[in-house]
Amino acid sequence: MRRAVAAILLLAAAACRARHEAPAAATPVAAPTPAKAEPGLGFLDGARDGTPQEGGTLYRRLGGEPTTLNGILQSSAFEAEVLQYVQRNLFDYDASLRQVPGLAEKLEVSPDGREYVVTLKADGVWEDGKPVTARDVVFTIERIRDPKVPAPVYKSLFEDLEQVEALDPRRVRVRFKEPYAFRSMAFVLPVLPEHRFAGQRFLSAKDNRAPLSNGPYRLVSWKTQESLELERNPRYPWQRGTFDKILFRIVPDNGTAFRMLMAGQVDENALDATLKARIESNPPSDTCCRVVEFYNLDFNYIALNNRSPLFSDTRVRRAMTMLLDRASLVRDLYRGSARIISGPWAPDSPAYDASVEPLPFDPAGAAKLLAEAGWRDTNGNGSLDHDGREFEFDLLVSAGSDIGRQIDEMLAAELAKVGVTARVRQMEWSAFVGKVDAGEFDAASLGWSAGDPNPDPYFYWHSSQCPPNGQNDGCYQSAEADRLMDEARRTLDADKRTALFHRLHKIFRDEAPAIFVVNPTQKFAFTRSIRGVTTSPLGIFGIWPGPLGWWKKAE
Amino acid sequence: MTRSGIGRLPGSARVALAVVVALWLVAAASPAFASRAREIHLGQRLAAPSATHPFGTDDLGRDLLARVVAATPISLAIGLTAAAVSLIVGFAVGATAGYAGGATDLVLSRLIEVMLCFPVLFLLLALAALLPPSPLTIILAIGLTTWAGDARYARAEVIKIKDLDYARAARAAGASTPRILVRHLLPNALPPLIVSAAFGVAWAILAEASLSFLGVGLPAPAVSWGGILSAAPTYIEEAWWLALFPGLALFLTVAAYNLLAEGLRAATTEGGRKA
Amino acid sequence: MTAYLLRRLALAIPTLFGIAVVVFLLVHLAPGSPVFGSSDAIRRPTGRAAEEMRRLYGLDRPLPERFATWISRAARFDLGDSFVDHRPVGERIREALPNTLLLNGLALLFALAFAIPLGVAAGGRPEGTFDRLSGAALFAMYSMPTFWAALLLQTLFSVRWHVLPLYGVASDAPGGGLSGIVDRVAHLALPVTCLTYGTLAFVARLVRAGVAEAAASDFVLAARARGASRRRALWAHALPNALLPVLTLLGLLLPALLSGSVIVERIFAWPGVGRLYLDSILARDYPMILGLSLLTAVATLLATLLADLASAAADPRVRDGAIS
Repeated sequence: MRRAVAAILLLAAAACRARHEAPAAATPVAAPTPAKAEPGLGFLDGARDGTPQEGGTLYRRLGGEPTTLNGILQSSAFEAEVLQYVQRNLFDYDASLRQVPGLAEKLEVSPDGREYVVTLKADGVWEDGKPVTARDVVFTIERIRDPKVPAPVYKSLFEDLEQVEALDPRRVRVRFKEPYAFRSMAFVLPVLPEHRFAGQRFLSAKDNRAPLSNGPYRLVSWKTQESLELERNPRYPWQRGTFDKILFRIVPDNGTAFRMLMAGQVDENALDATLKARIESNPPSDTCCRVVEFYNLDFNYIALNNRSPLFSDTRVRRAMTMLLDRASLVRDLYRGSARIISGPWAPDSPAYDASVEPLPFDPAGAAKLLAEAGWRDTNGNGSLDHDGREFEFDLLVSAGSDIGRQIDEMLAAELAKVGVTARVRQMEWSAFVGKVDAGEFDAASLGWSAGDPNPDPYFYWHSSQCPPNGQNDGCYQSAEADRLMDEARRTLDADKRTALFHRLHKIFRDEAPAIFVVNPTQKFAFTRSIRGVTTSPLGIFGIWPGPLGWWKKAE
Repeated sequence: MTRSGIGRLPGSARVALAVVVALWLVAAASPAFASRAREIHLGQRLAAPSATHPFGTDDLGRDLLARVVAATPISLAIGLTAAAVSLIVGFAVGATAGYAGGATDLVLSRLIEVMLCFPVLFLLLALAALLPPSPLTIILAIGLTTWAGDARYARAEVIKIKDLDYARAARAAGASTPRILVRHLLPNALPPLIVSAAFGVAWAILAEASLSFLGVGLPAPAVSWGGILSAAPTYIEEAWWLALFPGLALFLTVAAYNLLAEGLRAATTEGGRKA
Repeated sequence: MTAYLLRRLALAIPTLFGIAVVVFLLVHLAPGSPVFGSSDAIRRPTGRAAEEMRRLYGLDRPLPERFATWISRAARFDLGDSFVDHRPVGERIREALPNTLLLNGLALLFALAFAIPLGVAAGGRPEGTFDRLSGAALFAMYSMPTFWAALLLQTLFSVRWHVLPLYGVASDAPGGGLSGIVDRVAHLALPVTCLTYGTLAFVARLVRAGVAEAAASDFVLAARARGASRRRALWAHALPNALLPVLTLLGLLLPALLSGSVIVERIFAWPGVGRLYLDSILARDYPMILGLSLLTAVATLLATLLADLASAAADPRVRDGAIS
């Protein structure tokens, strides 16, 4: 199926499992500096002119059907976008990635960093009138831990939970086995109404399709494969949205969604470079469009299997990076809407050191490096070889990713010129993940998408996380990098931690464990009358108030 | 063995044969286009057909004509091999079932029925998506999902022939079953089998294209017409040529093989007997 | 007749079992796993969380045990719960089935409605102008790949001329009454066309061949000699005989239609069984894949059985086993 737009596959966000001592309160991630001034790019949508129209319907688009409306069972963005209106989290991220109160008003942590106490707000209430209580929170966390419940997003966050209990109707104590600096992120968590699940099998409960709301809107109807309709929840005590109704249209195909946007049948739609160009070349109509473009924390990279004889030598890996013309990619494939990265973070991440320059595009230099590493054409067949092994490999990419395939084909073309044969192999998603997670590949095109602001590289680059234990799929092993990552996770002081990340960044650039490609922009189009859009490094949706703050300019 | 020769083919089939031969010639000449087919020119993405690019360019600026030509040998080879697999397996199973009769026939007929009861594309999809991607897998997948039709056919033919005099005579003379099958039954069953084979090639080429279109076909870089077509829906508004030309090549090939098969069928059956 | 029926039914059971085994093996020998979720997933479980999910889905049990569990439940019409949304497999199929039936039903209807008269007209005058022309056209239709036809039709009717909608079952807020019906019909036009033309070509050629042969046979000539008009001779006498092979092949048309449905449903975003099947394969939703495969196979088996019964009733030779 045509999946949601552009951004490359493999949404694997950071799982907060690193061991760390917690600060006294939730550490705000340093507010990221706004992107360099370029037309249309920025963190905040400055269009605040006009008076909000009260009432009316907001038409949103979903790229696929939600599989459930149970906050714990949710697995994809389709569920999250609907649930955001219906079930509030204990805490949320605001546009500057600070953790702000949601259903809960206070988060306290013990001196040893292992124990947290969450205090709920006094007036949180379900749409049936019952209050949101600590028992609901305990129920939710117990369900997450339940081995019979597949909770893909939250399970790993509570893996080293020791105990959870309600201290009183408004306070919950949660104790973990170890302290961890980014632990507070685990409390960006929805809450389930315990009283609704009594007497039903959790996985097949009716509430999974018709959730009880504690948020500004409630579910009215769900027409499978067609639409979901929400209306105001009259019991919601806090900041309401301006719309009376929200209608989600389920439109899997990007082309159709685009056409619906132009016709005013949806008020927002994600864009890729092609669609953005189409908007810019189309004559403007009454309803369409305003384009909002910004950089978030996502990036793409090509993982190299460091354990393979092909890529175990640092010089070879550097050569690979030097053979990808990233400037041309940005210019021609992304039409300028991307930034080259030199390490496994987006430039707006606090861990990124802007002074670490990316390796240049230098085929001659790359050829020299390859020769130094022992790869020459000894048998005269036009292809490099070493110890009797020809330099050829499969470059895997997931079938749904056009951009990934295009990048790979560019790389393969350049590699062919120096005598390296890369076969671009598109694989169906599940099979692709199977191979990558098992470490059974030579090179694979991957993407990283931030579900939360955690910059910790431990799970992706530490030698203890090689397959099958973790997600260091290429099994990069460096004693020094390991040491720095371990130390950073133990460091409480944000500045010291950042300094450590910056040193890591230099190592990642020099040792090129993977080919770091680009950090592309996120692009959205809105009908002209929509205002109040806030962007953030986490995107448009995963923040508070996020879409709740949108409004339509009254005529 | 049909001694009909080309002369007995109806006119349309002769044209079809010429087209098929031309296609194979194009396939033979395709290595000359291979490098041009791989050249990426990001600055000329999705260019409309012109003098320099008669078929236009694709989403990476590669010349579409070169790509379509370069895809020819793969599409043809897969089609032929898959049809061959289907025919061989089908004949073996079907002839054995028809000849042996009794319990063997019962069991084998059930097997044939099992394969026939599957929507072919379902099975193809499952096989192609679930097995490791390679040309061999695709060939096997297509061949193994279509052999049942050939088997049913072969079984019916063998049943018709096995009690005829010359077969009985051979049996009386002590010839072994495989020998009878191959030396006596096969030559007489051959004409309809050849017809079936020609249809099979057309179907196999279509099947491979469908799989590639759905994204579970040949892995790049071994690209086929279906593979080129799989990118067409994304750019359907800007680049109609991406859909038109590879599809045209596909259509021409399939039509040619179908026409050839029709002609062979007409040539090998006398007096309007339904083949 | 009853003996034939009973025999066929009895033989259907091992066939069903064989189907179950084939599908089960196929699905479970594949790489990939339902644990990975879909490509839209926010987070992929690894390590302990993944292990737990595997155990929850029963993926750690040995294959024969899983097969036994599944087949015993299936025999009681319990197809289990989908891995994707934990709803019963039957429920999800029930939601998607009407859409596919609508599409395929209409396609079959139109195909037959056009193919039979066409075949009769062509077969009535073999090698005539109409026969040649229609033969060429039918031939072209027969050879055209479904997805290509779909793309071309979309480009023409939706992108170029904006006459018909590009995708989907209906526009949102289609409105009730006449405009709603018109909207639905408009959305049906392209997908049904794509599904119809292949079957049409196939059946038409079959009818044509049958009619041409029957028209030359003795009893039709006798009917003509008795004064029946050409038309009557063709329709009342030649056609029924020609329809016999069509009937037997009707059972086999079902899987062919369902196959075509997968592609059409995907291109036109039609929420039917074909699309469900493709999505389930990609998500490794084992219970769904198994349930769907079993159901379609059963349906095909039934259709084949019915077709065989009909031809057995019409043709004694079939009953006696001369023709399988």
